[in-house]
Amino acid sequence: MTRGEISIDERYCLGCGYCVHFCARGCIVIPGDRFTTMGYLLPVFINLERCNACAVCAWMCPHQAIEVYKYVESGQNEPEDISSG
Amino acid sequence: MEKIKVRGAPKSWQRSTSPLTICPGCQHGVVAELLCDAVDELGIQGNTIVISGIGCAGIDAFMVDMDAFIMCPHGRTCDVATGIKRALFGKPIVVALQGDGDCIAIGAGSLISAALRGEKITVIMANNANYGTTGGQLAPTTLLDQVTSTTPEGRDPGLAGYPAHVPEMLVPFRGVAYAARGAVNTPANYQRTKRYLKAALQKQIDNIGLSFVEILSACPANWHRTPVECLKWIEEKMIPEYPLGEFKNADRID
Ligand code: SF4
Ligand code: SF4
Repeated sequence: MTRGEISIDERYCLGCGYCVHFCARGCIVIPGDRFTTMGYLLPVFINLERCNACAVCAWMCPHQAIEVYKYVESGQNEPEDISSG
Repeated sequence: MEKIKVRGAPKSWQRSTSPLTICPGCQHGVVAELLCDAVDELGIQGNTIVISGIGCAGIDAFMVDMDAFIMCPHGRTCDVATGIKRALFGKPIVVALQGDGDCIAIGAGSLISAALRGEKITVIMANNANYGTTGGQLAPTTLLDQVTSTTPEGRDPGLAGYPAHVPEMLVPFRGVAYAARGAVNTPANYQRTKRYLKAALQKQIDNIGLSFVEILSACPANWHRTPVECLKWIEEKMIPEYPLGEFKNADRID
């Protein structure tokens, strides 16, 4: 199975919770004790095993705070843009 | 194993103005993201001019990094877009990025005149069913019984009229090549709306006529709901009133 990872940029995130709502695999939570630079509740990526780099969280984030990475075997590194189409 | 980036902000997304001045959960960011994505996929980033009027949708235009971005007086977005398109001999791709107040309230005359002239521009209208910037007053697109700050008892048709359906209204205009309505409340609707936007920009590239896309977008601050409740409200209340889909898709105008 494809494995992925996301990073959430706390300078841009406004804590709306769309990423938590739309991740079908439950990889993101808002713990409630972490805050963004602007003082909103910060979501945290918790589940490295379940994320399949579907990028839905990044599509639905209105503030473009999320970047999605995919793990590939070394050598086959042509980036495949799963967002298009 | 190595890590490759599959998705970040679109190429034509502008970072320097961040942190954004839109509210948490406001989907105008997604509207701008879709425009950037459509422009990137068509490869017209260096040739696209975005015109924006007053309102929350005006903030969208600060997020795009294309050839140029122009703010104009309230409601006159289609007029300024026409002027730029014609003064540059029809060469640039001109996008009018408007809110519902800018497009169909104060700018209704401009939109209708542009549609009558069959101007080769693309109009994007973000519909959040109220005037967001000024504090959530009644807009032409407000739903019946929706509570706003000027209709505290809900919109009463006897007093405040009925909601405006803009893409349906534009269908009979001969100068209109494309009219569609999308939403961004689910990943499936997001992809569908991106296809509408690409089709609308393609109509302008092919020089056919005016293309119009309305996008339903959440406004948590003025709907007084949490962002996730807003998505549910769009699904349950807005989409039955404003059905999604393509209403007109003409390959030529004769
Ligand atoms: S969707 Fe974006 S802005 Fe909203 S909580 Fe997630 S990372 Fe933050
Ligand atoms: S890429 Fe997909 S699976 Fe991974 S965190 Fe985002 S929504 Fe969840």
